[in-house]
Amino acid sequence: MLAKWKLREVIVLSVLAVVFAVVYLLFLQLGNVLFGLFGLIGYDIIFGIWFIVSIIAAYIIRKPGAAFLSETVAATVEVMLGNAVGPQLIISGMIQGLGAEAVFAATKWKNYSTWVLMAAGMGSSVFSFAWGFYVSGFAALSPSYVTAMFFVRLVSGALLAGLLGKYLSEGLAKTGALNSFPLGKEHKRNVTV
Amino acid sequence: MSLHEVNPSIKAFTIVISILILSAFFDPITPILIILWTVTLTFVFGRVSLKKWLLLLAPFLFIAVIYVWSTLLFPRLQEGDHVIWQWGFLTMTAEGFRRGVSLGLRVLSFATLSIMFTLTTKPTDFLLSLMQQCKLPPKLAYGIMAGYRFLPLIKEEFQILQNAHRVRGVARARTISEKMQQLKRYVIPLLAGAIRKAERTALAMESKGFTGEKNRIFYREIKLSYIDWLFFILMISAVVLSVCISWKFGYLQFYNGEL
Amino acid sequence: MLPFEPQIKVEDLGFSYEDSYIFKDLSFSILKNQSLFLLGPSGSGKSTLAYCLNKLYPEAVDGVITGKIMFEGKNLNDFKPGELNQKIGIVFQDPESQFCMLTVEEEVAFGLENFHVPRAEMEAKIDRALEWVGLQAEKKTVIHTLSGGQKQKLALACVLALEPEVIILDEPTANLDPQSSTELVETITKLRKTRPFTLIVIEHKLDDWIELIDRCLVLDSTGAILFDGITLQCFGEFAPFLKKEGIWLPKVVEAGISAKNEGFYKGERLPLRTAELLSGLEDSSAFFKKESKNTTLMEPILEVNGLYARGHLKNITLRIHKGEKIALVGQNGSGKTTLSKCLAGFLPLTKGEIQFLGVPLSKWKEKDLYQSLGYVFQNPEHQFITDCVYEEIAFGLSQRAIVSSVLETMNLQKHAGAHPFALSQGQKRRLSVATMLVHEQELLILDEPTFGQDANTAHEIMSVLNEKNGAVFMITHDMELVDQYADTVYVLNEGELIFSGTPERLWGKRDVIERARLKLPFRKQLQNEMVRREIHVAT
Repeated sequence: MLAKWKLREVIVLSVLAVVFAVVYLLFLQLGNVLFGLFGLIGYDIIFGIWFIVSIIAAYIIRKPGAAFLSETVAATVEVMLGNAVGPQLIISGMIQGLGAEAVFAATKWKNYSTWVLMAAGMGSSVFSFAWGFYVSGFAALSPSYVTAMFFVRLVSGALLAGLLGKYLSEGLAKTGALNSFPLGKEHKRNVTV
Repeated sequence: MSLHEVNPSIKAFTIVISILILSAFFDPITPILIILWTVTLTFVFGRVSLKKWLLLLAPFLFIAVIYVWSTLLFPRLQEGDHVIWQWGFLTMTAEGFRRGVSLGLRVLSFATLSIMFTLTTKPTDFLLSLMQQCKLPPKLAYGIMAGYRFLPLIKEEFQILQNAHRVRGVARARTISEKMQQLKRYVIPLLAGAIRKAERTALAMESKGFTGEKNRIFYREIKLSYIDWLFFILMISAVVLSVCISWKFGYLQFYNGEL
Repeated sequence: MLPFEPQIKVEDLGFSYEDSYIFKDLSFSILKNQSLFLLGPSGSGKSTLAYCLNKLYPEAVDGVITGKIMFEGKNLNDFKPGELNQKIGIVFQDPESQFCMLTVEEEVAFGLENFHVPRAEMEAKIDRALEWVGLQAEKKTVIHTLSGGQKQKLALACVLALEPEVIILDEPTANLDPQSSTELVETITKLRKTRPFTLIVIEHKLDDWIELIDRCLVLDSTGAILFDGITLQCFGEFAPFLKKEGIWLPKVVEAGISAKNEGFYKGERLPLRTAELLSGLEDSSAFFKKESKNTTLMEPILEVNGLYARGHLKNITLRIHKGEKIALVGQNGSGKTTLSKCLAGFLPLTKGEIQFLGVPLSKWKEKDLYQSLGYVFQNPEHQFITDCVYEEIAFGLSQRAIVSSVLETMNLQKHAGAHPFALSQGQKRRLSVATMLVHEQELLILDEPTFGQDANTAHEIMSVLNEKNGAVFMITHDMELVDQYADTVYVLNEGELIFSGTPERLWGKRDVIERARLKLPFRKQLQNEMVRREIHVAT
């Protein structure tokens, strides 16, 4: 998969992952507050933020594997940062990344419209929920509560990962920092036309 | 034997497998035994500082408590459950209580395993080991390493941005849309700077002859030895043993594919 | 390779990126162990050319290369990926972004690993390379904690460890203080004596290098070759043409040009050494005249009494007067940025007091304080908070009418709608200063406003600041700026103020200059040189 990637793209992907690994750890604290207020479902409200790097990396770089790798690297960096999220987090990251990647794969990595980006965020929601169901033992909770959690997470994935990811990527394209990437080139074309 | 010397990949693999097995059971005894075992290992063979350990554990204690009360308030009701207390739509059952405590303890057992890994593994060793033992492509591994180096820079930049915003008289964000603006004002400059630096780093790495080729001779070799496998066997046996003990005392409850 | 055959031969080389040519039809050759300057205005494609020579381009970007480059008689296309990088090494401008490992030894090892050096030989090679640049003691150090100068030496060590035949230096001193720059040049001079290699230097600050360089290859703004020949001829005869192109010149050549224009210099060709300049000067006293500044000080606006902070600053007492232009100098790590942050209220004090406009700094409301006190950060991007240049200046202003006049003074009117980040380096700097100037603060603090700027931008900014009514407190490494613009200069050394007074007084304090590792401005160096010669002649 990586053979077709330029080193520049790989490093930019990991730097995105590093920045968002830090953001993720900060949001863990916000998550804990919401968690304290609303119980388990509190996490689901902001769960989408933890998929955002998949959307941003895929939207900017537009290569097969961008969504999967960025989320996996972000998880690996979180483990390296050592805030006690152990190595199993890498598995969670891979699963979340796969969810988004699956949606991009369905468009053959050609379509990066708003709807696809939102669907990719929801893809991560679905995959992560299935994994969470097993590892966190949601089976012990009432089915209606679990269903509510699922839908909240779905919406969060669409909004906080899909929409917010698009918004931030486009803000970034305006700065000219992405000029050598597909998104930056697209932006430049739109500006000059 | 020291936990610091255990091969990082094997250590990570062992912990992931342990967690996968533990996730199949819903009972309080198995996680308690694992917690005791892991804590003993961490302090005897890891020689970590108690203060650091407690600091890392604290948030998980909090999460565990939330798990308990979430399961208490919204339990999965099954026929024959013993209702202890009922008020409106809230129902508390003895079984729900037990499951809640089990889930809370599960969180703590995962946490102690994770902390054992975190406090006894150097980040660079982990990456080198992933490359040398798990065949992680060097392109990605060195990419992560290069990205990891950016962290202190990003932290410094963040502090500068805070001061710069104060001088410019950016007011504290109150509404949601102001908060979004604020997020953008921090994230975009940080990312724009980081991306440009990343492109320069990539060029510098290529200028030193890095092509991502798989067969490298490593200056620092992360070795595999019998100790690593001993650790693996010891940990997995402990998990299996805990499950057996729990079963012996009649506490064990399987994940029955309940949906 | 045949004897006398050039080591590098470039024929009809062109490079285009996104359908526009950076340069085309370049032909030249370089002999083994030659040393040359690659000069040109910004945007002329110097770095691009350098990256083509060692095959980093076009692979690393989506560019198209035409023509051919031969290295030791072999076409570059026939080298395997990465192979050439062992033969042609490069040191980049930015010390922060050319490493990928955490410690010094790992970073040097990274290059050796790429070329399959047997593990048994690695350690010895690492030690030797670190010894060459004088970093043996830092072998296990984490790179992040090194100073800028040490980082550039490490970058050089990484290249040297591979024992290349050509070394390219792409503005290696752009981010270093004067002393570290001189040290880097000394290291390279020493190395070349024991171990010759071809040296290609892209630089702005030329003075330190001039003794080392045999030849200059100059590109113009369209990417065509403007001059190719020996250094002596390049600066001695063609300097006025280079200046017109906006190419940096050595200070002595600059001085020669202005002396010639004013009719003081009678030498046939422009001088490359101070001695030459002096012997060519006819009326030297007239050349050295400096208008003395009006030094009557107004009432103080900021008073610092016995300040201690961060366990680093010790017992600092100073007064900033209304309208005073102050320069703060000192070597890296002396506490300059810490002090300026304390003055701006970003850092807590451990002891002492700061009064601004008669009120303790801690008593000010944040909003009111920053209406009267501005701060310009080292990296202009940190200050930008909106999406377009116009909004950036208008932010927080009640009167939008003045925005367009500000844009005009800063020569930014054409870019009013652009994103601040998309501006050029110089435009960004001007914008960041403009965002502070519109509020007409009593005091403006600047952290190295001319760092990494070209000569024109630096002087533009300084003249705008000079005309400003409010006081200016500026950190700088540039002694020429201090000499030209400051009323007062403070010297900070290891957290203590060791001097305060006019620049002219500072230049007379040899012990202070040495302790704080400062350099005399060129004007003063010349004067001293002249005095020395007069004494010599007299005896």
